[in-house]
Amino acid sequence: MQETATTATDWAQIWIITGVGYTVVFLALLLLMFLFNKMPLILDVVTGKKVKVLIKKMKADNGNEEDQYLSGEISAAIGMALTLYFKEQHDEESGVITIKRVARTYSPWSSKIYGVNNNPR
Amino acid sequence: MKKLLTVIVILGILYLIPLLMGQELMAQSLTLKISEESGSLTEGLRQFWEYTGFANASLGNFIMIAVGLFFIYLAIRFHYEPLLLIPIGTGILLGNIPFPAGAGVGIYESGSVLNYLYFGVTQGIYPPLIFLGIGAMTDFSSLISNPRLMLLGAAAQVGVFGTFIGAVALGFEIHEAGAISIIGGADGPTAIFASAKLAPHLIGSIAIAAYSYMALVPVIQPPIMKLLVSKKERLIRMKPPRAVSRTEKILFPIVGLLLTTFISPSAIPLLGMLFFGNILKESGVTDRLADTARTKMIDIVTILLGVTVGASTQASVFLTANSIKIFALGAVSFIIATAGGLIFAKVMNLFLSQKNKINPLIGAAGVSAVPDSARVVQQEGIKSDPSNHLLMHAMAPNVSGVIGSAVAAGIMISFLM
Repeated sequence: MQETATTATDWAQIWIITGVGYTVVFLALLLLMFLFNKMPLILDVVTGKKVKVLIKKMKADNGNEEDQYLSGEISAAIGMALTLYFKEQHDEESGVITIKRVARTYSPWSSKIYGVNNNPR
Repeated sequence: MKKLLTVIVILGILYLIPLLMGQELMAQSLTLKISEESGSLTEGLRQFWEYTGFANASLGNFIMIAVGLFFIYLAIRFHYEPLLLIPIGTGILLGNIPFPAGAGVGIYESGSVLNYLYFGVTQGIYPPLIFLGIGAMTDFSSLISNPRLMLLGAAAQVGVFGTFIGAVALGFEIHEAGAISIIGGADGPTAIFASAKLAPHLIGSIAIAAYSYMALVPVIQPPIMKLLVSKKERLIRMKPPRAVSRTEKILFPIVGLLLTTFISPSAIPLLGMLFFGNILKESGVTDRLADTARTKMIDIVTILLGVTVGASTQASVFLTANSIKIFALGAVSFIIATAGGLIFAKVMNLFLSQKNKINPLIGAAGVSAVPDSARVVQQEGIKSDPSNHLLMHAMAPNVSGVIGSAVAAGIMISFLM
C-alpha cells in the first residue's frame, strides 16, 4: 500500500518535470523567436533608419516581393561563374611556346676529365 | 659483425645458466620483482603470461573490441561521423585491452594517464569547450531570417521528455532517467554534460548511445520522413531566406545568451560557451580567437573526449542490462524526436499562408545532430525534387535544436540536482 503511494508520488513528480520542462523549452525558444521577429523593427527604432519604408519603396519599384530574393539557381550560377573566373585566370597565357637556346662559355669546374676517379686505362 | 654476435651469444649463455640452475641474478634482484619470486625460467614465464592481456581476457573484452572495430569500420567505410567514431572506436580498443587489476593503466584506476584525461569528462569540462567551437563555426543567419523555425527545434525536444518517462517506466532511478533522456536531444556533448551531473556511473553507456545514434542519423531518419511526410508535402518550396544584417548577427548571441541562461541557469556552461563562441565569430574583431575555437581547440577536445569516452566502456562496467536498456531507449528517443519535429512542421503549415508554408521535412532537423540531420533533410528533399534545396532552411531548426537540447538539459539538471 505504502509502496503504491510512493510510486504514485514519483509519477506525479515525473509528469510535472516533463510538463514544466517541455513548456519551458518551448517558452525559451518562443521568446527568442518573438524577439527576432521584431528585431528589424527594434533596430529601426534604435538606429532611426526607416528600413521598412525602403523595403516598401523597393517593392513598389520591383513590382512584387519575389524580386527581392535571388533563387538558389541564380545564386549557384553566379557562384559557378565566379569560381570559373578565378580558377581559369592562370590559363590566360600568350599561347606562344618556344625553346630558348642557352649558350654558356665552357667551364671545367665539374669536368669528368679532372675527376679523382678518372683512372688511367 | 661476427665478433659482436659472438659477444652477444656468450652474454646470453651467461645470463641463462643461473636461471636454468635456479639461482638469482644480482642485477635481477635490483630490478625485477618478478624474478625475485621466480625460482626458474618457467616460473618467470608463467608470471609474465599472467601479466599479459591474453591471460586476463574475458569474453566481454572481445565483444567490446569487436564493437570498437565496428565503429572504426563504420567511420572509414561509410563516413558516419568519422571525427567521432574513430576516436571513440580506438578508445574502446584501449579501454578493453585486459590487464591485471592494480596495474595503474586503466581509465578507472586513480593516477593513470587515461584517468587524468577522463577527468574532463567526469567533471563536464569537455562539453562546454566543444560548444565553444560549435558556436564559433555556426552561422545563425537562417534562424534569424526565419525565427519561427526555432519552434521546430523546441518541438523535437519531445524526444528528451518522452525518453525521461520511458526510462522511469523501465525502472531507472529518477536521476539516471534524467541523464538518459538527454540522448533524445541527439546532442553528444549535452548528454555527457548532463550525465556527468546526474548519473556519472552511466556516462560511458549514455555517451556511446548518443554518439552512435548521431552517427546513424542518415539511417534512422529517412524511413520516418517517408512514413510521416507525403509526396506532395515534400515538394513544398520554401521562400528563400532574407539577408541578415551584421547588427542582427551580433545581437543574436548576446540576446540568446541572456535570455536562455536566465531561464535555465544550469545550462550556463553549455549555452554560455555556445553563444560566446558565436560572439567571437560575429563580432568581426576576434577572428584569431574564433579561428582557434572552431579549428584547433575543438579538434583537440574532440580527440580527448572521443578517446576517453571510448575507453570508459570497459567490458566489466559497460556490458550490463542497463546499457542494453539505454541503447533501446536511445533508438526510441531518436524516433520520437524526429517524428515530433516532422509532425509539428505539418501542424505549423495549417496556420501558415500558402506562400509562407514550410517543407515538413525540415522538422526532422530539429534534433540537434548538427549538421548531419540538416544534410539528411537536403538529401531527402532532392530525392523528391532535384532542384529543391532545403539545406539552408534545415540549418535553422538544426541550430535551434542545439539551443533547445541545452535548455532541456539545464532544466533536467535544475529539477533533479
